[in-house]
Amino acid sequence: MALIQAEELTRVYGAGETAVTALDHASLGVEAREFVAVMGPSGCGKSTLLYLLGGLDRPSAGRVMIDGISIGELTDDALTRLRRQKIGFVFQSFNLIPMLDAVDNAALPLTLDGVAAEKARTRATEWLQKVGLGNRLTSRPDQLSGGQQQRVAVARALVAEPRLVLADEPTGNLDTRSSDEIAGLLRQVADDWGRAVVMVTHDAHIASYADRILFLRDGVIVDELRLDAHNRANAELVAERLRMV
Amino acid sequence: MLRLQLTLAARYLLGRKLRTALTTLAIVFGTMVIFGMGMLLPTMLAAFQANVLAAAGQVDVTVTQKSGEAFTRSALSKVRAVPGVRVVAGSLSRTVNIPSGYYGRTQLGALTLTGIDVDAAQALHSYAVTSGRFLRASDESVTVITANLAEMLSLHLGDKLHLPTADGDITLKIVGLLPARSQPGNEEVLVTLSEAQKLLALPNRINTIEANLNTTDQAQRDVIEGAIQSSLGTDYTLGGLSGGSELLAGLQTGQAAFSLFGFLALFMGGFIIFNTFRTIIAERRHDIGMLRAIGAGRRTIVGLILVEGLIQGVVGTAIGMALGYLMGAGILLMMGSLYRNFVHLNIGAPVIEPQLFVQTIVLGVGVTLLAGLLPALSASRVSPLEALRPAAVEHTTQRFTRGNIAGAGLLVLALLGLVSHNARMAALGGLLFLIGLVLVAPVLVQPIATFFSRLLTLLVAREGTGELAQSNVVRQPGRAAVTASATMVGLAIVVAMGGMVWSLTGGFLGILQKSLGSDYLLMPPAVSLWGSNVGAKPELANRLRATPGVAVVSTLRYAAATANGKSVALLGIDPVNYTKVASLAFQAGDPQTALADLSRGRALIINGVFAAQTGLHPGDSVHLSTPTGQQLYQVVAVGGDYLNAKIQTAYISQANLQRDFHKSEDIFLQLNLAPNANAATVEPRLKAILKDYPQFKLVSGQNYFEENKQIFNSTFMVMYVLLGVLAAPSLIALLNTLAIGVIERTREIGMLRAIGATRRQVRRIVMTESLLLAAIGTAFGLLAGLYLGYVMILGLSTAGYPVDYVFPAGGLVAAVAIGLLLGVVAALFPARQAARMNIVRALRYE
Ligand SMILES: Nc1ncnc2c1ncn2[C@@H]1O[C@H](COP(=O)(O)OP(=O)(O)O)[C@@H](O)[C@H]1O
Ligand SMILES: [Mg+2]
Repeated sequence: MALIQAEELTRVYGAGETAVTALDHASLGVEAREFVAVMGPSGCGKSTLLYLLGGLDRPSAGRVMIDGISIGELTDDALTRLRRQKIGFVFQSFNLIPMLDAVDNAALPLTLDGVAAEKARTRATEWLQKVGLGNRLTSRPDQLSGGQQQRVAVARALVAEPRLVLADEPTGNLDTRSSDEIAGLLRQVADDWGRAVVMVTHDAHIASYADRILFLRDGVIVDELRLDAHNRANAELVAERLRMV
Repeated sequence: MLRLQLTLAARYLLGRKLRTALTTLAIVFGTMVIFGMGMLLPTMLAAFQANVLAAAGQVDVTVTQKSGEAFTRSALSKVRAVPGVRVVAGSLSRTVNIPSGYYGRTQLGALTLTGIDVDAAQALHSYAVTSGRFLRASDESVTVITANLAEMLSLHLGDKLHLPTADGDITLKIVGLLPARSQPGNEEVLVTLSEAQKLLALPNRINTIEANLNTTDQAQRDVIEGAIQSSLGTDYTLGGLSGGSELLAGLQTGQAAFSLFGFLALFMGGFIIFNTFRTIIAERRHDIGMLRAIGAGRRTIVGLILVEGLIQGVVGTAIGMALGYLMGAGILLMMGSLYRNFVHLNIGAPVIEPQLFVQTIVLGVGVTLLAGLLPALSASRVSPLEALRPAAVEHTTQRFTRGNIAGAGLLVLALLGLVSHNARMAALGGLLFLIGLVLVAPVLVQPIATFFSRLLTLLVAREGTGELAQSNVVRQPGRAAVTASATMVGLAIVVAMGGMVWSLTGGFLGILQKSLGSDYLLMPPAVSLWGSNVGAKPELANRLRATPGVAVVSTLRYAAATANGKSVALLGIDPVNYTKVASLAFQAGDPQTALADLSRGRALIINGVFAAQTGLHPGDSVHLSTPTGQQLYQVVAVGGDYLNAKIQTAYISQANLQRDFHKSEDIFLQLNLAPNANAATVEPRLKAILKDYPQFKLVSGQNYFEENKQIFNSTFMVMYVLLGVLAAPSLIALLNTLAIGVIERTREIGMLRAIGATRRQVRRIVMTESLLLAAIGTAFGLLAGLYLGYVMILGLSTAGYPVDYVFPAGGLVAAVAIGLLLGVVAALFPARQAARMNIVRALRYE
């Protein structure tokens, strides 16, 4: 069974005359260890889809199953616990806490889960080393570059050993080099560390790191592209396909 | 241009309704206190003038003896002889306190009994009787009263009016009614001069001369008034009555304290606004940069921010004044009944002086603009590039600034002031201490927050919420310091007041036991404002002495005098009997011989307050102004009794009081029973005698002590009410900081919720943050409060009040409890707000 199973997801913002249908009967599945990219122009509903998959928002219609659990029926606290244990988030604007150092930032999900401080810091340190920040453990966010801050965010997303990582335009605030590094890191998250990754982006090059790309337009999933070992990271192919939808 | 600024300002303010409301609230509170408190003194003054001066009516010149005592008619002839004086009339007037319940259910604090020289008085005033007739010189036992009073007492023409006097209860027949007076005040009971002299036991004496002059030219009037003054000498005063000035001084002190509090509140309001504006600027760097990029000048930006401040200042001040009026009127209403019963002053409608409006508006709007100015200037320095750059990660590290170092210096100076044991230095030190703490606070925020967050983490804030809360506090040390300072000021006053009330209670109850420890007390209605009480002739004391079972009776008599230019209440005591029932608490001189020494020549014991005001010591000589001229008295000791501890008082022998002041009326009596007497049988006999003297209340010494202890306890209650008011600015400051923090960190809260923080954890973060801020404020407040309390006691004892400093352990506990409560209450709303936040909207928040 798929890790994520979303059926006929619809999300309408507002009501009456000004109602906006941000997502329109979208169905998809994501397998464990799979890296899926979601592409589309600005305002097509990418973030909306991601938030629904992560249980941050509730759909107007349709349902989401994560690891066999239908999250629509969960209470707010149960949903929160599920997020804490099964899902990691990476945001466009990093969203680190400026007063905490890299280790404490990365350790947050464990700390919130009641894990003892020492144990949480040890595990956060391990993950920071894995994402290549072993030498910046005690730096505060303002002492780190954008790329480094996003690495801390990735470590934070992984520290609670979730099965799924959701990333909303993780390279949106980064230069090309750092963007490549982060996309590569997410590839590693799926390949080496065995998590499923759903990443929203509008950059064809970044999307080409994924196993599969969903094309979204006006809230509807209009197309899908599978990339295998030999056309992986072929940005031209993705861009061409994007032009067609 | 201004239209654009107004539009933008209004949009921004409405866009953040909650924050706008909170900031405006800070101004509302400050102006409310200033306006409300500013109403009190003028209203009381008006009441005072209406009561005391209304009797004087509309005449050109009023002459009284400086001491307020009665004098002979020779002064009258002197005034009449001055060229330019058209008519003169002498009168004898006195406030008669009415015991409660005297007129059944009608509550009447006091009446003014006035004896007039019927023919002369009618040349000065027009007495238009509405029914009946006016007084005739030959009248006996008749009176003319106002229709008002008659209505209040349900009396009609021909009815009898009861009145308590030194001769016992008397009745006067009402022969005429005067129209109701326009000014509120004590109602007048008019009798003939000879009648009043008989009733008040002051034969051939008057205490007021009224005169009209034969010119309206101000320069000529001044000349005539000068001539009257020089013909009478310096013992006489021209103009209004001088009596009751001690009450006025008390009112003024109270007003000063309240105003100071109002300014403090507004000062804190200014801080809060300053804070908010700094936050606003930080938030809008992008917008401001964009405005600059498309061509807005620096001045436009400053104007934009200031217009926003102006709107808030005007709205806040208007609301504050409206609420202030309600508060002031409410306080006056409450004080009204208190004053009627204790000081016998009727308080009328609230009086608002025009300058109070001006003052409140200037302060309210001015503080807002001033607080907005610095942030506005810093906004104008935002470069147009800011619009194009992504927002930098905020992070402020606190380094030592010049302010911190100056603050530390002030703290050292303050401690030196305390060590100096000089009240004035210490008082100055108190101010320096407060300012110093506010200045060093930002440096101390980090260590104190760390300390308390460890504590809180152990207790409640587990799962990392404590660390997060601490990081929120430390993130803006300046803001945290200001917030904590607001709490500090409130709590410092709690602790200081606690210390003072505790110390005073101890000191006063000690003297109470000493000076009023007799078996029974005969109390007049207005204790300590002796001049307005009606006493009794020596006959009462004699009848009490003759009562079987009574061992000893001691009495106090009263006269007003001035010494060294200060007015003083003279109490005549009978040294032999007094020592048998009570004692004075002595601060200087020989307690063994002091009372006996009163009988040797003209000798005087002065109390601490009077000693502090005049600088007199035992052994010094001082001239007292008396109706018989200046008399030289020798100070033999400094000491006092309970009832007069707050008033400048001196004690002389009753023999001297009779000789120099012609006073022999007993205004307060104490008695002890014989050792074998049974109180149950004696008490009815005493009560029977007092039927004739309803102005006295029989109280057992034990009961009186208990009653007074009760009064001290209710003083605590008043303190609690005051604390409620004091807590408001602290609460607003806390609430404001927390709410702004929550708004600023919206996206962070969204992130925390996304990665797995429950609503409860988010709520706990805000709650802990609030508790941390409150804890810092409380820590400072305790320090400053102990300091201020000590200074107050030091000041009181230098001013002559017999008090020792008592460590306010209870005040400390109360302050800590209040601090914690403030923390919890302030956090309720912002914590809910944070916990309820919609995650997706929070993450999308710009
Ligand atoms: N809270 C909201 N209220 C109304 N409309 C919204 C809200 N959030 C998003 N939308 C609209 O829904 C559509 C999809 O938004 P979003 O999912 O953010 O798109 P994307 O991430 O692809 O840019 C857009 O038209 C957007 O304006
Ligand atoms: Mg988006």
